[in-house]
Amino acid sequence: MTDLYRKEIEIKKEQFQYLVSDLNSPLNRTGSSFKIWIGFLLLLIAMAGFMYVRQLQQGLGTTDMRDIASWGLYIADFVFLIAVSLVGSLITAILKLSNVKWATPLTRISEIIAVAALIAALLIIVVDMGRPDRLWHIFVHGRLQSPIVWDILVVNTYLVISILLLYIPLIPDLALLRKTMGHKPKWQQKMYKILSLGWQGTEEQFRIMNLSLTALMVIIIPVALSIHTVTSWLFASTLRPGWDSTIFGPYFVAGAFMVGAATVIVTMYVIMTNYNFKAYITDEHFDLMGKLLVLTSLVYLYFNLNEFMVPAYKMKSGESAHILGLLVGEYSVLFWSVQILGMILPILLLIIKPFRKPKPLMIISVVVVIGAFLKRFLIVTPTLLHPFLPVQNYPESYHHYNPTFSEIMITVGSFAGIMLIISLFIKLFPIIPVYETAHEKGFPNEIINNS
Amino acid sequence: MAKLNTIVAILIFAFSLGAYSQTTTWEVSADQAAKKNPLEILPKNLALGRNIFKRTCVACHGEKADGKGLIQSTSLIDEKFQKQTDGVVFYKISTGRDKMPPFGAMLKEDEIWSVINYLRVLADPSAIPPPKNVKLELTTGEEIKSITATVLSADSAKLPLSEVDVHFYVKREFGLMRIGEMSNYTGADGKVKVFFPEKIVGDSEGNVTLVVKIENNFLYNDNETTNVKKWGMPLLSHEGEFSRRALWGARDKSPVWLLLLANGIIAIVWAVIVYVIYNLFRIKKAGRIFFK
Repeated sequence: MTDLYRKEIEIKKEQFQYLVSDLNSPLNRTGSSFKIWIGFLLLLIAMAGFMYVRQLQQGLGTTDMRDIASWGLYIADFVFLIAVSLVGSLITAILKLSNVKWATPLTRISEIIAVAALIAALLIIVVDMGRPDRLWHIFVHGRLQSPIVWDILVVNTYLVISILLLYIPLIPDLALLRKTMGHKPKWQQKMYKILSLGWQGTEEQFRIMNLSLTALMVIIIPVALSIHTVTSWLFASTLRPGWDSTIFGPYFVAGAFMVGAATVIVTMYVIMTNYNFKAYITDEHFDLMGKLLVLTSLVYLYFNLNEFMVPAYKMKSGESAHILGLLVGEYSVLFWSVQILGMILPILLLIIKPFRKPKPLMIISVVVVIGAFLKRFLIVTPTLLHPFLPVQNYPESYHHYNPTFSEIMITVGSFAGIMLIISLFIKLFPIIPVYETAHEKGFPNEIINNS
Repeated sequence: MAKLNTIVAILIFAFSLGAYSQTTTWEVSADQAAKKNPLEILPKNLALGRNIFKRTCVACHGEKADGKGLIQSTSLIDEKFQKQTDGVVFYKISTGRDKMPPFGAMLKEDEIWSVINYLRVLADPSAIPPPKNVKLELTTGEEIKSITATVLSADSAKLPLSEVDVHFYVKREFGLMRIGEMSNYTGADGKVKVFFPEKIVGDSEGNVTLVVKIENNFLYNDNETTNVKKWGMPLLSHEGEFSRRALWGARDKSPVWLLLLANGIIAIVWAVIVYVIYNLFRIKKAGRIFFK
């Protein structure tokens, strides 16, 4: 009897070791294609850096932002990145607290997307400043009455919580890395050793970890909702056509969940195909994420209906120029492309099961992400071009906003930065949680601890 | 390529046309050229001419009328320009050409003539005698609020000077506000009077600073006299309004409810974060116990 039991343990141990080496395989395989990819990203970032240095030297005149359209691509990018970062709370907290088990392999993907997007968002907001050397003024002279101060507080708080929520579930995996990555460079081993906090997998350690995780998951939901609500208030608390809306908070949050889900789908597809993780990120996962995308899109569609139908029905004199500009005017092509291709068509397609297969779902998600970015642009710019107060004696060019090459390169650089962070993370840490996967596959803690 | 050639050809044609119109002589008929300037070169006319020049000509022709304004234009002080008769210059100012607007529609004839006089003096400053010092006095009428400026010669004789342009101002927060006319000329007794307008806001007690100036005069040096009068409406203080806690208040004037709400939220959220970070140390400690 004991022999049989011991044999069973041996088999389980072997299975577990196979699981660990499989999930850690991206750390051990660094081909030339990865180096080219990193080089390409660094090139994009260097170009963005060059453009930014030029902007610092010559001022914001290198952008197309002028007196009327004083916000442009940078702010659209900022809102987009904040929206993307919300997915961290959606997948890790909301799904987990509702006892949704299937999302486990996606938690770390969504958290690293959230952290990377937040870092890029914080950088792009500095890029938008004409005098970044005066950034410290907001801390010294900022007024608590100003939504800008709320935004800075809440974005940084959310970043801290997201980093903790990324890090804490990683601790047991780091302990495994400490044991299995003996062939890695010294600094990397040292990093695993320090970060794993001497994890032994004792009951007490698990108890404290789970307690901390629950606390974080509960607190991140209101913080995540406020981060995007406060960002929407930056717009909604000013008296502008198109921004002067009471539903801007939920409208932004709904849009954020939609683009967040789409971003996770694209990322998990790339990771699944690149590292051959078909066994962990299955068609079932894509199917369920597709359904989640439909759900979030439907909520967003509902808010869009409210956001545009009601003002368009009233056609208030001050707002009509803005609404007509979107529906039939200067921005109508972009507006309807975004609404139809980026929201309505994905909903219609994703209701049908074959479209929720990995590849079609990924393609649809890419369209959704692009549409979501352009939607942020449509929220920021057309409104600024139609202020309530009449605009007089400006050069004709001030009445239009077309992002310059410099602005586009810096925005592309922000995306490259996000991809760089995620790519390097995958090479240093297991992107699919090892401990949690093993735990859910029924491996007992003794095996996990003693392997 | 053919397209490009066409464009180049059109551009060359356009430029040469522009150059042509710049170089062709500006024909003025004999009777127009023979017109005589009805105005004499008097300080009064010169002051008017300068005011108009400053307002309408400086932008293109420059402060010194040397043609170096915001755009390159004709110099109005070189020999080529100055040897034209007053009649020719009058015609050119009135009708205009190319970028020079036809001022005949905007200015009265006398005004154009006064500008011409001013240009003559500008090119040859020796035409007028050097400026003299004056004594400027300010008296006020109390019954009806009025300001009287008296201009006297600076020597011991204190003779009243007539036909002197005096400017009246009220001092405001960031500059001077003109009262009276653009030009106020003293009479034979050396005096000129303007009335103080109603509803001028002063300081918290209604004090206003009156300023009387002789400035940019051809005959006399700049001079200035001031006087403080309690003629204005007192500035209403909104001190109470602004010192209370409100959303529009300063950094240290946040509403109490906002302070409690915002700081309460921050405290709760960060308490959880600090608790979790503290737990990280507990995890580390728990691992050490296991080792022993």
